[in-house]
Parts: sequence; structure tokens; C-alpha cells
Amino acid sequence: MKRLFYLLNRLKWALISIIFVIVLNFFLFRVLPGDPARAGVRDPRLTAEAQQALRVRYGLDKPVINCFTSLNPLKLGNCLENPLDTQFFIYVGNLLHGELGTSYQTGRPVAAMLGQALLNTVLLIGIAQIISILLGIILGLLAAWKSHTAIDFGVLVASLVAWSLPTFWLGIMLLFGGSTWLNLPVMGKMTVGADFTSGFAMALDVAQHLLLPTLTFTIVVMGEYMLVMRSTVLEVLSEDYILTAKAKGLSTFQILKDHALRNALLPMVTIIALNLGFTVAGAIQIESVFSWPGLGLAIFESVGRRDYPVLQGAFLLIAFSVISANLIADLLYSYLDPRIQAESNE
Amino acid sequence: MSTYRWLIVYFLAITLLTSACSGGKKIPAPTKPPDQGQSNPTPVASSPTPTPKPTTAPKPSILRIGRAGSPDTLNPGTALLSEAWVTFELVYSALYVQKLDGTFTFDLATGVTASPDNKVLTYKIRSGVKFHDGTPLTAKDVVFSYNLYKAHDDFPYMNGYTKYFDKVEAPDDTTVVLTLTTPVPNIESQLGYLFILPEHIWSKVADGKAATDFQNSDMIGSGPFKLVEYKQNEFVHLAKNPDYYGTVPKVDEVIFQKFENKDALVQALKTGQVDMIAEMPNTAVATLKNEKNVKLVTGAPLSPDITDIIFDQVSPQDCPQGSKCSGHPALRDRTVRQALSYATNKQELIDIVLLGLGTPGLTLIADGMGMWFNNTIKDYSFDITEANKLLDDAGYKDVNNDGVREMPDGKNSLIFRLNWPSDSTVAPRLAELVSKTWAQIGVKTLPQAVDPDALTAQCCPAFDYDIIIWGWGSDPDPSFLLRVMLTSEIPTGSSESGYANPVYDQLFDEQSKEMDPAKRQALVWQMQEIVQTDVVYLVPFYSQAVQAYRTDRFKGWITDQPKLALDHVINLQAVEPVQ
Repeated sequence: MKRLFYLLNRLKWALISIIFVIVLNFFLFRVLPGDPARAGVRDPRLTAEAQQALRVRYGLDKPVINCFTSLNPLKLGNCLENPLDTQFFIYVGNLLHGELGTSYQTGRPVAAMLGQALLNTVLLIGIAQIISILLGIILGLLAAWKSHTAIDFGVLVASLVAWSLPTFWLGIMLLFGGSTWLNLPVMGKMTVGADFTSGFAMALDVAQHLLLPTLTFTIVVMGEYMLVMRSTVLEVLSEDYILTAKAKGLSTFQILKDHALRNALLPMVTIIALNLGFTVAGAIQIESVFSWPGLGLAIFESVGRRDYPVLQGAFLLIAFSVISANLIADLLYSYLDPRIQAESNE
Repeated sequence: MSTYRWLIVYFLAITLLTSACSGGKKIPAPTKPPDQGQSNPTPVASSPTPTPKPTTAPKPSILRIGRAGSPDTLNPGTALLSEAWVTFELVYSALYVQKLDGTFTFDLATGVTASPDNKVLTYKIRSGVKFHDGTPLTAKDVVFSYNLYKAHDDFPYMNGYTKYFDKVEAPDDTTVVLTLTTPVPNIESQLGYLFILPEHIWSKVADGKAATDFQNSDMIGSGPFKLVEYKQNEFVHLAKNPDYYGTVPKVDEVIFQKFENKDALVQALKTGQVDMIAEMPNTAVATLKNEKNVKLVTGAPLSPDITDIIFDQVSPQDCPQGSKCSGHPALRDRTVRQALSYATNKQELIDIVLLGLGTPGLTLIADGMGMWFNNTIKDYSFDITEANKLLDDAGYKDVNNDGVREMPDGKNSLIFRLNWPSDSTVAPRLAELVSKTWAQIGVKTLPQAVDPDALTAQCCPAFDYDIIIWGWGSDPDPSFLLRVMLTSEIPTGSSESGYANPVYDQLFDEQSKEMDPAKRQALVWQMQEIVQTDVVYLVPFYSQAVQAYRTDRFKGWITDQPKLALDHVINLQAVEPVQ
């Protein structure tokens, strides 16, 4: 029962956050200077009439919301407008119908565009996160266990260096190295136009394309995991119950596995949850170095063109992933450490 | 217990992954015949011994082109980006096609007769032409397409090209009669972009929103290439049209790949992952020059690439309603703009900013415009003394001795905001260099990069700036860029400078009706002289196109024409695989 209350409470806050994001997303882009009917295209052939026709097509001829014709430049307007015929409520109405709208730039449904991009990003980031979490935990554990030895020092320096490397630079370096010496592909998800003889051949091609971006991402993210893991495990290892475990004659492996690891996982869950949420968007740099057709690139393209529907959809998706990752982390907490649940319910 | 199991899963996953990665290189295992290794991107010479039983067709020749952009849509009605137009030229036919010397020649049309008043044009078109799906293309498709473009004012560009169309008729299958409301000079440069769409497909979506929402994902045309697959922002995959009426391409397939990163683009060419790159940063020129099997080519781009410095010179009485018009008053004085021209070292800018890959600029009508470019105009030579003298004589003195001149009334200092779009690669260096020489004549700048769309909002018709560094890509016809300096374009946002000159406006009107090319040229030249004297724009340079291709993959590239465009339809029809 207590657990259910806790869950409902968390869900309520998650829902409130999402509603807040929906509203904010809409106004955020409209406060920015710029006009989707002219963005990215300066061309005298694009006459005033043609621009107006574009605005009508995009639905931007309607007032932003009652009393406001536009937000930047700020233009006041009729307050007695039918609210359902304003941009804001059309947007909200579409969302309630599960529609994200149509991209200005491509004329395609936003859901379809972002769906494919999200899959690509999840493929890249998912694999990279799994590898970096595993390596981070293992190396962190190793460093803590062998603290103040050459191994510890090596792991420490390596993770500090990795963590502070600029993503963009590392990506370019790996791209040059990987393509020159290993003949790895420098762009895209798979070889276009290749006549794959089997599903395996195709998977292999995708894997080759994944290798460099995944490696870049892993190196950049892993350092953080290693450092946090190391310091937490060090802390745990100094606890009395570890001493007791040692006194009981347990092997080092058993101590680490049964006593140190689980207790040290709590802070890890926090960072992993935070990272997972943000990395959906945070891959922009890697995706742009390797032309990986993911969500980050979709956002990057759309900002330049003021493609409001795509931006709104993408930001909603990111907010949703951050919020749900946090929700999952909260729930995992209560599982990993029952004290948290008790506290939050007073 | 569960943790233990997890650890095993972790290790398994890692070993699997690492083995999969290293396995990638070991794939040409002895079990597979070497000539079927599809994943190998390096050119494999076909083995001299004939394969005993060729179970599959010979490997198609695939030309891979790397570039930094991708079409926004395949719908010719709604497309805005140049990459989309490159694709349309490959897949569709039009009555005319542009050649690599910039002029137009018949494509689908075989001849034309004009009425004495030049208002009725009767075109004969080819017979026996088929769309990619096998349906015959007749004059009715031409009429349908033109009427579709004409009917849709929500087609931003296509609609504009049909502005002077009165009616289009097809008396028979190979005759198109085009009646204009007024004679249009150089009409081939407009008909060259009015692509012929298949009526049997487009008639279903011809009305209202259906036409702008139409994705055109099958893209049935009648051009030398047909669409295989298109992924927005990723690639365009085309195959040759073996039934094409003109020169059938010698390559089997062409794939345009979009690179987000230009260094990766260059690297892809070096490692043979693409066969040609249609653009690259000038900084890559030095490394590619010495690269084995890579040929670097430079030349005038198909569409002239103009970098310009815009002065806000809109006068208070021309300021459009609701605009800020906050430009510095000194810039409305032609003498100041002329002094800034004298204080600009164009050759230094070309050498440093473009690494030499450009020519000095004059007006918006670039040297790549053929007969329309006025090559008799005298430019402002780099002369600091002359610039200082001009300002001294006009009463711009440094009253308070801070190194910056004040206006003749002694109040306003010559401190100009200097902005450029943040995605420009040339502008930051350019801004730095001109600021340095302008400082020598007592002019101070406040340089700042601005998001391109925000800059558009600031520029025009708001006129909320002093000086902007920006640029243009030009259409083949001079009217395109001459139009942006018209008084009537001030409120529309097309005029960036706010320049207003009735004489110029009058000349524009005349040239847009003049059917005699020689007389029209004289008018266009005269207009260039006016804007050069008035320094409506300061044009530092025209950039050259820099492209490169691999010599070990495809041959027959056309690089000796006045214009360089390796990704142009004429080039892609001409190239053939080496061997």
C-alpha cells in the first residue's frame, strides 16, 4: 500500500512536469526571433504573397493565443477570438489526439520523422551507455579494490582524461584514425545502395557504422561512471560491515559482489538515470560528427529552419525521457534502499 | 545470486560485442569468393578469369557523391533548398536545360516559334517520351504541370515562374502553346525550372492542400535518372533511366549522401567512401592537392556565390510601417560608403578568407553571369589616403580625439554595429579584417555573429542594423538579384539595404521588358554602374566552387566549361566507371 502511494505520488509529479513542458515548449520557440516562412531561405523570388501563403499553410496566420497575434515581435490582438482557433489550442488539441503535427520543412508527420530518428539514437546511445555503464562499474570497482596501486592510479588518470575530452574533438580524431587505418565508414547508419545478401551482412554493416560513434560516446561517458563508482566503493569498503564480512572469512569476490556493489549502486543509479534522459538529446555532437541520422540531428536541422512542430515534438520527447528516467530512478531507489520510501511518506 | 548472473551476462555481452567488431574485418573468409565481398569499399578490379557461372548480374557501377545538404522534400511545388532542385533536374524533364556555360538549350522542346508581339510561344516537344512508369509524356502533361504551378500560390517558387502566364494549351500531343500577359525576356531561364509532372499521378492531388501535402515519394519523372530510394536528411539514391530520350547515363546508380561534418566529407573522399564531393572547406584544399587518386577542381560555380557587405541606408520616409529603421545615419551618406569601399583591401580578403579561391567582387551581378556581368566597371582601389580625404572633405572629423570620427554635426560617432549569420564560415575572418582597415579611417565596428533567422528578422524589412555581412546565390537571369535593390522591395523584406533610386527602378522596368538581348545587356550594365557608384552593397569577393573527385573510380568529368558543377545533370550523364 505504501509503495502504491509512493508510486502515485511520483506519477503525479511526473504528469505535472510534462504538462508544464507542453506549455513551455510552445511558447519558448515563439518567443525566439524569426519567422518559419522565411527561415533558411532568403530569396527575392519568395515574394510577400508567397510568404503569406506559407504562413497560411503552416497555420501561422492564426493568432498565437487570445490577445496575442504574435510573441516576437510582440503584437497584441483580439482577445475575443474563439480560443480553439488559436495556434496554442490547436497544438494542444492535436496533442490530445496524439498528433504531433506536420513538419513545415518536409511536410511529413512529425511522429514518423522523430520515431525513426529516435530509434537510431536509441540504437547508438543504448549500446554506448550499456558498454560504458558496465566498464565504468567494473573498472571503478577494480580501482577501489586495488586503491593506491598502479591500477587505481591508471584508472583514475584515464577516467579524468576521458571525462574532460571534448566530444567533438574526440569524434573527429577517431573518425580520422578509424577511417584511415581500419577503413571504417565515416558517416551514416549503413552503406546505401549495398546489395546485402543476408540479414547478417546488413547487421554487420550497421555494426561497422556504429563502431566509431559508439566508441566516442563510451569514452566520453565512461569516465564519469568510473570516478563515481570508485569513490562510492571506497567509502563502502571502509564501513564496519565490510570488516565484519572479512572477519567471517568471505572471499574478496563475495565481499565485493554481495556487500560493496549493491550499496555502491545507489549514487550510480542517480547519474545513470540523469544521463539516460539527457543523452537522447546530448548525442547532438556525436551525431553531427558522424552524420548519424538521430534525434540530435533532427533537432539541429529544425532549429535553423524554425520548424516549430518538429522542435515541439522533439523537446516533448526529450522531456518525456528525462522525466521517465527520473521516475524509474525514484522507483529503483525505493527498491534498492527501502528507507527512502519510508521517508518520503513521512 | 542474481548479481552473479548479471555479471556473467555483462561479460558475455562485452565479448560478443568485441568479437562482432573485430569480426567485421575478417569477413572475406575463404568460404566466400573474393569478388562478392560487397562490404569492401575499396575498388576491386574485376578478376581477369571469367567466373564459371555468373549467378547474379554484374555488379552495378555506383557513383557516390558527398555533400553537406539534402533535399527538404521531393515535391517540386514546395521545395525550397537547392539540393532539391539538383535532384529535380536529374529526375524530371523541362522544356529547357541549363548548360555548363550558363546558357539554356532545348531539353524536352525541339523548337519554338514566337508571335510578332512575343506573347504567344508555340513549342514543339519530343514525341515518344515516356515517364519512368511507362506512361507516355505528351503536351497535355506540360499543360497540366504549368496550370498546376499557376494555380498554386502556395508553391513558393514555381508559382513565381508562371507569373506572366496567361494560358497554356495543347492542340496536339507534341505542341504546347504558351500565351503570356507580357513578353518575358530570357524566358528559357524560367521554363528550365518548370519541371513536367505526370498528369495521371498529380491530377489526383492537384487541388488545395493535397498538392502541398503530397510527398511525391515515388517521384515519377521523365529525366535521365529515376528515384530508387530517398531518406530525408540522409541520402538520395537514383538509378539511370535506360529509356531516356537523350544521353543515357553511363553509370548505373548515383547516390547523394549528406554529411553533417565537412571534415568527414573530405575524409570520406580520401578513403574512397565517396567518389566525388560537391563542396568542401577551402582549408582542405592543401591536403587534397597532394592526395593520391584525388583530383581537385576549382571554377566558377553554376550559381554565382556572392559575399556582400550590406549597408542600412533606408531613409526615414521609406521606412516601412512597423519597422525599427535604427540604422546609423552616416551610412545613408554615399560618401561614407565610398570611403569604406576605398578602405577595403579585397585582394587581402580573398587571400586570407578564401585562401585565394575567389575573384574580387563588384556588384551583386557576379563575373559568373556571362554577358550580364559588366566587366568595364572600375572598382574602388584599396587607398586609405583617398578614403580619409573623402571623409575629411565631407566634414567627418574626429572632434573628441578618440580615434573615431564624428558626423559633421559633431555628435554621432562613426561606430557601426557589424553583424553576420552565425553559420557563415567566411564572415568572422572577413569582419575582423575589414574592421582593421576601417579603423585606419576612423571608423569603429562592433562585430557580432547572430543566429541566421534572428538576423533575417533584424535585417529586413525591420532595418534594425547598421552593417551586415551576408551573401547571395544567383539565378541565371540578372533580374533575380537586380530586384533586391528596388524601392518597391523595401516593405517586402527582399530589399536588404533600403536603397531607393527612381532612375534605377525605371531601368529595372525597362530591362524586364526588353526582348533584344543586346539592348537589355546595356540596361543591365548601366544599372550595375549606378549601384557601384552608390555603393548599395560592398561586395568583397565572388567565391569559386571547390570540388574533388577520385580518379580511380569514374572518368569523363567535364571541368573545362565556364562553370564547374560536377553534380550537374550533364556531368552525371557523361561520367563512366574507370575500367
